[in-house]
Amino acid sequence: MAIAENKKYGEEEKKTEPVRVRGLPFFPHFVLREVVVMCIVAGFLLILASVYPASLLKPADPFDTPSPIYPEWYFLYVFGFLKFWIYDVGPIPAKIIGVTLPMVLWYGLLILVPFIDRNPSTDIRTRKVAVTLGIIALLGVLYFTY
Amino acid sequence: MTLGDTIYKWIDERFKLRELLQPIIKHPAPENVISNPLYCLGGTAFLCFLILVITGIFLAMYYKPTPLEAYKSVEHIMTEVPMGSLIRSLHHWAANTMIAAVMLHMIRIYFMGAYKKPRELNWVVGIFLLLTTTTFGFSGYLLPWDQLAFWATKIGTGIAGSIPVVGGYISLILLGGNDIGAETLTRFFAIHVMILPIAIAVLLGLHFLMVRIQGISGRL
Ligand code: HEM
Repeated sequence: MAIAENKKYGEEEKKTEPVRVRGLPFFPHFVLREVVVMCIVAGFLLILASVYPASLLKPADPFDTPSPIYPEWYFLYVFGFLKFWIYDVGPIPAKIIGVTLPMVLWYGLLILVPFIDRNPSTDIRTRKVAVTLGIIALLGVLYFTY
Repeated sequence: MTLGDTIYKWIDERFKLRELLQPIIKHPAPENVISNPLYCLGGTAFLCFLILVITGIFLAMYYKPTPLEAYKSVEHIMTEVPMGSLIRSLHHWAANTMIAAVMLHMIRIYFMGAYKKPRELNWVVGIFLLLTTTTFGFSGYLLPWDQLAFWATKIGTGIAGSIPVVGGYISLILLGGNDIGAETLTRFFAIHVMILPIAIAVLLGLHFLMVRIQGISGRL
């Protein structure tokens, strides 16, 4: 019932605002889908949490270095890059580059993406350069993570 | 008239609820946004965030941010507090899922070109959200004060410390001294439960406001 009413409302708007309004109302359609997905995700998290409880190792001991030491998975690429880059560039030592590149420059580049990519098209077929660079960056991060 | 209707009418008469809600409720969302699951990733990240807030509040009731007590309090949560293990594990998994969802959300935005005019600034806010989310993870990793927490943070802060020019300051701010110790733990705790939540609330507010004003880009 509610759905039918909202549909009608949407159609009325289409007449007055032909350009923007080509869709279904936020409520209930959008919200309903969002709630369904959220229930699935919440269920999934509950199962994960019950089957694989968070771990707790031995208490911290500043005098006993364990091995291996690994960071959270989303920082692994920084470690990977640091290990990979062993080349000094002029006076800049390799370690500085290995640290700066994946953190400072990488995020700087990410922030600038919309200002570098001035191609107004959102059609994936006419954005070959951006898509290629994106795939390369993705594979790069995956490679260093691994 | 049902009870719900009566209450709604009572509030509506006083606060003009209808006028406020109508534009939100009827605001159109593009059809393919509703049918394409890739558009759920932002909402998934947000759900994880909400779960993290709730479980985090419960954890904060038992957690003690000092080197002597941190580990014991987490152990206490895991073994004695009713549902403690579930709450902490949920916090753990929601955190990891949130980061994965944020990254996938960003990848969707990139490949769909959804950052283009007029949404450039929302992308920039998004990058700060990504930074905030991963910093949440980094600061939370130390709190259990177990071997991995301690040593991973030692290396992590070491890496941040070797960034040219600003590294020394970052390291000092994070550690609160020359090495990881009690100061570091209380700092990380404050960052994790006070500073970052405020930061992310502001950023999320901006993010959602911009999505609302600009709409979700409809094309595939
Ligand atoms: C805490 C993390 C984040 C949350 C909770 C979040 C949430 C959302 C939600 C719910 C939407 C609506 C559309 C959708 O769900 O796909 C959205 C859109 C958007 N997000 Fe995020 N987001 C987050 C991080 C990011 C990041 C890291 C970026 C990019 C760097 C980003 C850039 C955008 C852009 C540009 C839009 C508009 C997309 C469009 O119009 O199609 N967001 N965000």
